[in-house]
Amino acid sequence: MAELSALLEEVFAGGGTARTLLVALTSLPCRTIPGHVFRAALDQYGLRSTFDTILQDREVIEALDAVHLPASGETRAVTLRLIRPLTLHQRIGVGRMRLHVNRELLLLIDDRDEVTLRRGDIRMSWMRMNEEVLVRLRRARDRSGAPVDMLAVSAGHVISQTYPLDVITLPPRVPRERVTVEAPPPPPPRLAPPAPVMASAAAPAAVLPAPAVSAPPAAVISVVHRSPGRLRLRIAQLYRNEVEKARLERALRGRAGIVSVVASSLTGTLLLRFAAPLTHQEVERTVERILSGEDAGEGGRRQQAHHPWHIFDIEQTAALLGTSPDRGLSEAGALERLSQYGPNLLPQAVSRSPLQIMLEQFASLPVALLGVSAVVSIVTGGLVDGVVILGVVALNAGIGFTTEYWAEQTIAGLNRGLEPHAVVVRDDQEREVAGETLVPGDLIILRRGMAVPADARLILADHLSVDESALTGESVPVNKMVAPLDERNAPLGSRTNMVYRGTVVTGGSGRALVVATGVATEIGEIQRLLGETEQPETPLQRQLRTLSGQLVAGSLALCGVVFGIGLVRNQGFLQMFKTAIALAVAAVPEGLPTVATTTLAIGLRRLEQQGVLVRRLVAVETLGAVEFLCLDKTGTITRNEMTLVMVVTGERRYDHGAGGFSIEGQALPPGGSPDLEALLRLTALCSEVRLEPAADGPRLLGTPTETALVRAALEQGIDVEALRARYPLLRTRLRSEGRGFMDTLHQDGNGYLLAVKGSPDQVLSLCDRLSEAGTVRPLTEEDRERILVDNERMAGQALRVLGVAYLPDDGRPEERRDLIWVGLAGIADPPRPEIPALVEQLRAAGVRTIMITGDQSATATAIARQIGLGHKGHLESLDAAQLETLPADVLRSLAERVDIFSRVSPAHKLYIVQALQRAGHVVAMTGDGINDGPALRAADIGIAMGVSGSEVAQEVADMIVRDDNLATIVGAIEQGRTISSDIKKAVHFILASNTSEIAITLLATAVGTGEPLSPLQLLWINLVTDVFPELALGLEPPECDVLRQPPRDPHAAMFNRRDVRRIGMESAMLTGVALGAYGWGLARYGMGPRTSTLTFTTLTTSQLLYAISCRSEKRWLFDRKPSAANPYMTFAVGAGLGLQGAATLLPGLRQVLGTTPLGPSDWLLVLALATGPYLASELLKAIERPCRVDRRDADSHGQ
Amino acid sequence: MASEYVFTSESVTAGHPDKLCDQISDALVGHILWQDPPARVVAECAVSTGILFVSLKAATTASIDIPRLAREVILEAGYDRGSFNGRTCTVMTNQLEEPEAARSGARDRESALSELVAQENVTLFGFACTQTPVLLPLPIWLANRLAQRLDLVCREHRDELAPDGKVQVGIVYRDHQPSRIHSLTLVASQRQADLPLARLRQTIIEEVVKPAFEHETLVPDSETRLQINPEGPVVEGGPALHAGLTGRKTGADTYGGYARQSSAALSGKDPTRIDRTGAYAARHAAKNVVAAGLASRCEVQLSYSIGFRDPVSVRVETFGTGALSDDELSERVARAFDFSVGGIIRRFDLAGLAARSRGRLYQRLAAHGHFGRPELALPWEATDGVETLLETVTYR
Repeated sequence: MAELSALLEEVFAGGGTARTLLVALTSLPCRTIPGHVFRAALDQYGLRSTFDTILQDREVIEALDAVHLPASGETRAVTLRLIRPLTLHQRIGVGRMRLHVNRELLLLIDDRDEVTLRRGDIRMSWMRMNEEVLVRLRRARDRSGAPVDMLAVSAGHVISQTYPLDVITLPPRVPRERVTVEAPPPPPPRLAPPAPVMASAAAPAAVLPAPAVSAPPAAVISVVHRSPGRLRLRIAQLYRNEVEKARLERALRGRAGIVSVVASSLTGTLLLRFAAPLTHQEVERTVERILSGEDAGEGGRRQQAHHPWHIFDIEQTAALLGTSPDRGLSEAGALERLSQYGPNLLPQAVSRSPLQIMLEQFASLPVALLGVSAVVSIVTGGLVDGVVILGVVALNAGIGFTTEYWAEQTIAGLNRGLEPHAVVVRDDQEREVAGETLVPGDLIILRRGMAVPADARLILADHLSVDESALTGESVPVNKMVAPLDERNAPLGSRTNMVYRGTVVTGGSGRALVVATGVATEIGEIQRLLGETEQPETPLQRQLRTLSGQLVAGSLALCGVVFGIGLVRNQGFLQMFKTAIALAVAAVPEGLPTVATTTLAIGLRRLEQQGVLVRRLVAVETLGAVEFLCLDKTGTITRNEMTLVMVVTGERRYDHGAGGFSIEGQALPPGGSPDLEALLRLTALCSEVRLEPAADGPRLLGTPTETALVRAALEQGIDVEALRARYPLLRTRLRSEGRGFMDTLHQDGNGYLLAVKGSPDQVLSLCDRLSEAGTVRPLTEEDRERILVDNERMAGQALRVLGVAYLPDDGRPEERRDLIWVGLAGIADPPRPEIPALVEQLRAAGVRTIMITGDQSATATAIARQIGLGHKGHLESLDAAQLETLPADVLRSLAERVDIFSRVSPAHKLYIVQALQRAGHVVAMTGDGINDGPALRAADIGIAMGVSGSEVAQEVADMIVRDDNLATIVGAIEQGRTISSDIKKAVHFILASNTSEIAITLLATAVGTGEPLSPLQLLWINLVTDVFPELALGLEPPECDVLRQPPRDPHAAMFNRRDVRRIGMESAMLTGVALGAYGWGLARYGMGPRTSTLTFTTLTTSQLLYAISCRSEKRWLFDRKPSAANPYMTFAVGAGLGLQGAATLLPGLRQVLGTTPLGPSDWLLVLALATGPYLASELLKAIERPCRVDRRDADSHGQ
Repeated sequence: MASEYVFTSESVTAGHPDKLCDQISDALVGHILWQDPPARVVAECAVSTGILFVSLKAATTASIDIPRLAREVILEAGYDRGSFNGRTCTVMTNQLEEPEAARSGARDRESALSELVAQENVTLFGFACTQTPVLLPLPIWLANRLAQRLDLVCREHRDELAPDGKVQVGIVYRDHQPSRIHSLTLVASQRQADLPLARLRQTIIEEVVKPAFEHETLVPDSETRLQINPEGPVVEGGPALHAGLTGRKTGADTYGGYARQSSAALSGKDPTRIDRTGAYAARHAAKNVVAAGLASRCEVQLSYSIGFRDPVSVRVETFGTGALSDDELSERVARAFDFSVGGIIRRFDLAGLAARSRGRLYQRLAAHGHFGRPELALPWEATDGVETLLETVTYR
């Protein structure tokens, strides 16, 4: 790479900047510079810092895999290709932000020689913002008019900076000798100051880079402690180095055997938990290797070359892999590679530890504030107060922990997938090995029924077909062949000469050369994508967080005001302080998390009884806000089981479903149609399906299509075994390229029988007669035309159509053109019977159902019609093999309209979910395959299938449908909506009642009429008479119209203006009656315990009665349809009244609370006043009812 | 004094985005009619950079795979590589299934046809003149032949030439008769920017222009201006460069602007749409008038009103070239041909045409003009009404 060095000298001799370097690079004749060569060249002149400035982080240049330069004449640009996408953490003035760097950075150079980074190549996220980072290297003039280069960086409203680029001038004499080294130079030490001048230069880029053999640099590692399964290391270069921390964590996390990784840049230590059989030494060694840069961490991504293997021929492939397509690797060679590339293992998802779950319970603002209040109370002598407050906190955390831990445990209990075994050829010997020992270059043998153990390039395929549904979602097995392909960017599903890990061989056999193992496989790549996808905050989390924050701030301010007024009025410091604390506790909605958690946990349990397992507590509530449900076609809408659905013989059409055959809706008895039977008998003969006897009827082994036909024959009462015995098979000719049909020759007594099935037009072209109603007649042109139209129509309905024909008395092997046509058979993967009703229910509930599939659009459209997708007759579909080429805003606006996405690959599902989310929707997505993982995680609600779902899908999903019955989703949505409305009701109640407590204290303090409620009375109200009604409200049963309402708007605040007004009026009523009682008491008894008790009792009683009114927002006292009973509420109100009675009667309690018994007239007054707020609230509902037309209701019709 | 003027007509290749949309629309119509002849279909397309939008409104028992058919058309047009290609482009489909009742209530085909009424208010024109053997104006005939030839050559040189192309032919008229070729302008798109113009020019002259004029009486002379890519090279072209829409090339579909034409699109409509079939019937009538020797230029105007079976007006205009008065001719034409909606479908067997070609005919029709296509043997190009027209003369 002498040109590069010369170029650098030329650019920087007279002073150059990063911009001039980039511009100059485009003049190089070469197309690609390997990353290590580029780094070495920069280091040679100490120029690495130029790149550090423009890309903001030295990790970028470290991760540089190659620099691509376009051929001259094309647009001027420099592409920096990284070994993986990066996530960088940066400290900026306003906190810490993350930069997401794409794998390819395109730097475009315009006519003015200014450099612009392609939009979207770097994105930043900070707080909840996610913006594209715009980087531009501009030319400008400084104040004196001298030219300077400026770097302009901006990202939304977060960053906008411009600063000059360093001008670097090389010293006049640079050592010019260049040393050529065999291996790439070892990476420089991590913490080195901007790279020193290194006298090393380029090495030729190896095609399959050899793993670095250099000795690791002296990384300073010391062991802090060792215990079984735990290791704490002190690492010098980790100290105060966020980049290193992120790198270490990323590299170690998800590695086989590693359970958890915690690195701290504050202390410079690394805590690892791991599982046997890993030993301390091995773990230490791994860390060393990662630190030294020998091990990229991701299990060999860096080491295994990523080539478009499908376009190479076998010789090229074998040469690149350094293997022999005949003899395979040697055992020793394989062993060596195993140590280089690591085992063929996929990382396991990590589950949360109990401690983590526990800690998360305390991570909310109100709870933290309560904790502080408790401590303050205890310190200032209010032990009782403090204990009461702590009780609330403990209760809350306990409920939360129990439910979440239990859910986590249930998930962990689901059985795990097994690592596949492999048959491999080494040293020309065939042997069976564990799948994890495979290495790139291994020659593997594929047979029917085997799971493909690694990504491999086929070198021999004998009628090989592979079920790739786990990877591509395509339920029809793909026929594989050996010939190289032309299209470099062919989608996975079209790479017919490759097999991928995670797929299953459904037919034929083959040999293949392993090209990628472990994390380097496509499935590994998907798992890596999973690691990068973030889980969004749920609407409830968002709303409760906002609300808690506002309430905490508001109540603290009010407490301050009360405290201040009290001080001014000279009411005693300590007394006022206690009141202020009590008031704070009363005002802080500490019940909020408790109610929310309990409500959610109960909902979770109810869902579990319905067969839905929820992995994250808040997901239960998010369900209620779901607006879009993305359903995966294969395996979710359908069973992923091919079934015969239609047969056409002559002019008759037979439909086949669960109840056997029927004509125009009329069931057909067995033996009802000789034509049909003939067709079924022929397809049972002309078939490779094997029947294995089993307890519940024979088990069928074969391709899905043939199995479907034989199963139908068995159902129709045809004894396939007897039939095959009656017509012994003489020979089989399978379909092959250019010959789209299969035929079998059978002995028929003294004669023969030839049975043919396959591509309808090809089979038809061999026929000149037609069998109809038991008679054979010549095939007319009209017959041919009719059959072709039938075929076209069936194909249009997404059926796999087979033509069936036969010829008796034929023993000659050559092709005949006088076959007898029997009919057409259409096979498909039909939708599950419960889906249409589900779609209808969801539509009524305002949830749009979207189908996403890797299948062709015809299949998708036909299924969509059957299950009733679409709106008002319109059915919109998007057929896109390359969704990523669509501009994001176009996809966003399209996604809202589309009912079907067809030919979609795993990554695209993610795009769709994200597009809908960008449009502001709450998205649920179902999936069962490994391919669905990233989208499941990104969706607001990821739903995995319990039976057919893959482990990956289940681990990232928010909920798991145990029995694969999607109908339970409707129940889940009902539950979710009920929960969110229940939480709203409870919060409504808390707000109104807490406000009244504050208002009373504030008013009384302000007016100076003493203290109507003592601190302990406030706490009593808060704990006893508030908490139970709150919890009861949280357990309200669903209102009857919950599934006929549109989903609530996740972006709207929990309370709109009208709600706030109502809460205000209601709390004013509560305050009013309590103050009324206080005034009456003052007038009658003067200031004292009796007045206080009167006020206290009025307030609690009125709040308890008011709670009953909060049960529904719409239904009022005299409504025709009363609410379903809520026994909890009856109990809560009863218990509350009883406790309040006890508070005025029991001497012990009286003493603590400072109450006195009340007289009958007092009680009468209390009751009269207490019913006031209840009746007023009911009346408000009645008044507001007619105008309660939901805005979103109107919106959803407009869609 | 002899009047002299130049008239130009333009046509485009099958790979032009507008034509691509026409062809996809008609491929859908054709395939539906093949399966279900009485089907009602309206298919419209729009295409831009990487996305094809298809809107299909149909009342039919047929089922088709829209994206697959669309992709086939795109691939056939030659978009099999590059940033817009049939394999990878995105196809957005909006399908509206109309109830079966939107078709005719009658089960019997014949009575269904006679019950059909016009569903649009539309005035249609048909034209024929003696400038070419197929009785089309010379400029559009030449433009379409050149475009067709260009299409073929693009396919032969698919590594160098991209499928998008445009042709304009200018004819000098003296006394309303073509006297010489004024100019030929061809725009051909290329795959790579580095294709030398000289080479492109040679290919086009040798393989497009020369063969296209092989059987023509009027050929380019030394004065003819031949322009090839006058605005510089067009790299890739097609939907990657400019958007397309169904029904935007009615000029090239009909008479190249030489005669009046209805603004309604022809492609993407089933035969019951009178704005399509009426245009065929009008052309048929005009061609037969000229073929019968009753005029050397003839325009037939048909006006339809919603709810009427027959046109409310049949009018013939011969621009002073008629052997009989225009009134007389109008009457004869009206008597000789059945212009009712069902009548036209029956006469031309429009639904059957789709079936006989396995749904392909409509798609072929959508590129290179709906009229004067000897290779397609179109029923509205047949001069089978000549006898009837002349008979009426004799017996009067």
